[in-house]
Amino acid sequence: MKWRNRGKLPAVIITIALLLFLLFPFFVMISTMLKSSTEVYSSPPTWIPERLHLSNFITVWSEFELYVFFRSSIIIAVGATVFNTILTVPAAYAVARLRFVGRKFILYLFLVIQMFSPVIVIISLFKIMVGLNLLDTYFSLIIANSVFTIAFTIWMMNGYFKSIPVEIEEAALIDGCSRVQTITRIMIPIAVPGLVTAMIYTFIYAWNEFLFGLTFIQSRPKMPLVLALYNFVGRWSTQWELLATAAFLAIIPVLVLFYVIERRLVAGLAGGAVKE
Amino acid sequence: MADASISLKQKLWNPEARLAYLLLLPAVVVLLTFMFYPIVYVFLMAFYKTNKLSQMVAFVGLQNFISEMAEPEFWEITGRSMLWTVLAVVTKTLFGMTIALILNVKYTGRKIARMLFIIPWASAVPISSMLWRWVYHPVYGLLNHTLKVTGLWATPPTWLGYPIPAFTACIWVDIWIGIPFMALVFLAGMQAISEDLYESASLDGVNWWQKFFFITLPGIRHIVLIATLLSCLWTFNDFNTIYILTMGGPAGATDILITRIYQNAFKWLRFDRAAVMAFVTFLILTGLSIIYSRVYFKEERS
Repeated sequence: MKWRNRGKLPAVIITIALLLFLLFPFFVMISTMLKSSTEVYSSPPTWIPERLHLSNFITVWSEFELYVFFRSSIIIAVGATVFNTILTVPAAYAVARLRFVGRKFILYLFLVIQMFSPVIVIISLFKIMVGLNLLDTYFSLIIANSVFTIAFTIWMMNGYFKSIPVEIEEAALIDGCSRVQTITRIMIPIAVPGLVTAMIYTFIYAWNEFLFGLTFIQSRPKMPLVLALYNFVGRWSTQWELLATAAFLAIIPVLVLFYVIERRLVAGLAGGAVKE
Repeated sequence: MADASISLKQKLWNPEARLAYLLLLPAVVVLLTFMFYPIVYVFLMAFYKTNKLSQMVAFVGLQNFISEMAEPEFWEITGRSMLWTVLAVVTKTLFGMTIALILNVKYTGRKIARMLFIIPWASAVPISSMLWRWVYHPVYGLLNHTLKVTGLWATPPTWLGYPIPAFTACIWVDIWIGIPFMALVFLAGMQAISEDLYESASLDGVNWWQKFFFITLPGIRHIVLIATLLSCLWTFNDFNTIYILTMGGPAGATDILITRIYQNAFKWLRFDRAAVMAFVTFLILTGLSIIYSRVYFKEERS
């Protein structure tokens, strides 16, 4: 342990320096949201607000009606999570537990398509949404977000189901449970941590998603938060103190959720090389 | 012969396999409709002349590809996409390695430091990009102010206004978002290396650099490979950062394939050109993706 002790102080100093450097934009965000408009647009700018100005929160909530976009984002993210889970759980169980021809291939395919870029298919998806009359609906985003998360969530759930000892399931089958009952009464309850991870992952993905919203949504009240903020930059590019406030409020929920799944997410992405 | 055909039928159509197909069906149907069909459709589109309503007007064979390849701009954008990916991934790896090495030192408060280092990854990418736009603001932005006041750079550029500063500004945001993932994965790998190795090396009087090159690096080799491959995919795919910061501008100086596809389609309504670029992008991404999957599977088995 000696060599570690010797290295401690420099490590602390480098940590602080790097954190100051890397978290600068968030420092700017917090500083800006606490400033008045006049102070934001004074040159030279100030690092720390001269006087704390909390009314930006009230302005974004009541005048900019941020709650409308919060509601949209919640509907879309929850919808995508539910839809994704309904599709993922049975599929993941099948690849984890059942023997059938092409199992390996399907698993491999899911891993490859996990990386598909939404931009490649955005033209066709747009046309499909037009064809299904889903343009400018929450449902278009619910579908798109769950489709582009499904490969990864199946992979994650596959890992969780596989880690449950087969004996538990066999015992249940011998005791007269049907396959479906073993899934709903035994496998899913045991795999809850994995299920929660997959669900949070989908929720965050949908919450942060920008491209689909930009392409499918036109009417203002249906915009998810991220898109509303983007249009906010375009329309009132002079009100950065309000944007910083809205950004702060929009980030907090996903930040909290991200900490819940962060370790399992890293393990899922890096595969067998990383243990949780 | 008869035996073989029976066993084949049984292999494909026994109760267990039937249940598996049934359980997979909903997911497969959704993926076929909203992922595979769209890809096939875009591929088809690449061989057609399209109108402004994105309808395929006439089959032109390879003509779209030929005319696209003849454009110097196409090669410029493809080259820039490569440069973008390589530069960003290398920088992310270096930063990630540094942070992982630091967090692997057992000092008090490193758990908090770890949580703070994650923030740029945990935060929503589009929102972070908007915040960076404000940070880069030439007059009221705190970046240039800080550079000036601290004397680090007396005359910093108008970041998003000129080609090279804009490219630098965009790629930095992409790097900044990607660093935490690298750091976390590397750290997880380092923590899996046995302490004993380091201790016995210490007894032999091995210095820090030697430990790094002969114990740490070989120990995390596979993890570094997987993480950089994954990072290549994400970086090549990074639409949000560029679109939100510069929309590919000024004068196309920050456009990469992924942003140009979108602009070709939804800004200039040149759907055939977008389809050709999507085709090329798809090939590159699938290649990378297959390599990643192979490495991933190899790790799973071992």
